[in-house]
Amino acid sequence: MKTSSMKSAHRFVAVLLLGAALPALAEPMVTPQQVTVCAACHGADGKAVQPIYPHLAGQYANYLAQALKEYRAGTRKNPIMTAQATSLTDEDIEQLAAYFSAQPGPLYTPNVHGK
Amino acid sequence: MMNSVRCAAAMLALLAAPAALAGGNVDAGRLKANTCMGCHGIPGYNNAYPTYRVPKLGGQPPEYLAAALKAYKSGERPHKTMQAQATSLSEQDIADIAAYLAGSPAQP
Repeated sequence: MKTSSMKSAHRFVAVLLLGAALPALAEPMVTPQQVTVCAACHGADGKAVQPIYPHLAGQYANYLAQALKEYRAGTRKNPIMTAQATSLTDEDIEQLAAYFSAQPGPLYTPNVHGK
Repeated sequence: MMNSVRCAAAMLALLAAPAALAGGNVDAGRLKANTCMGCHGIPGYNNAYPTYRVPKLGGQPPEYLAAALKAYKSGERPHKTMQAQATSLSEQDIADIAAYLAGSPAQP
């Protein structure tokens, strides 16, 4: 009896783990359609084409999403970015942020003790 | 002829240099960027309300970093803490900080 309940507990945990792993497997990184628009300034790989534009590659996804939401809301003011962001849905923003965050790039956290 | 070409080139270089580098001094920037490190020097540090990670600044172009600080100073970018930091910065401070952060040492 005890063994059987242990077994079912194990099975339960295994199913939980599988459930957690599956979404990651089921949703491979797709290149969002809007990337081509972003690419004109930020580069298709998230490395900016001019130094006045920020690199997006490797930046934290939720920071990128926050930036797009601020542009969309008009609280962060930039004529180019506001025009791009107004038509984006929350889902678009999440996808774009995830895409650029996943690209390898030059960004890093500065070291406070560094010289 | 060559002299006047050289002279014109030198004048052009003089005109272009301040715009490109904005006179940023890396050593001065290292000291002025001390405060920045309280948040931007900690990998994965979170902004609160709303929660999102404080952006990585190392490796960003200095021109962008300077533009960002100016936008906080003018209020074009909304972030109370960043606006408070940027409001007291001079043009020179901004150029120095941007020059330092762009090429700052990375985490070990």
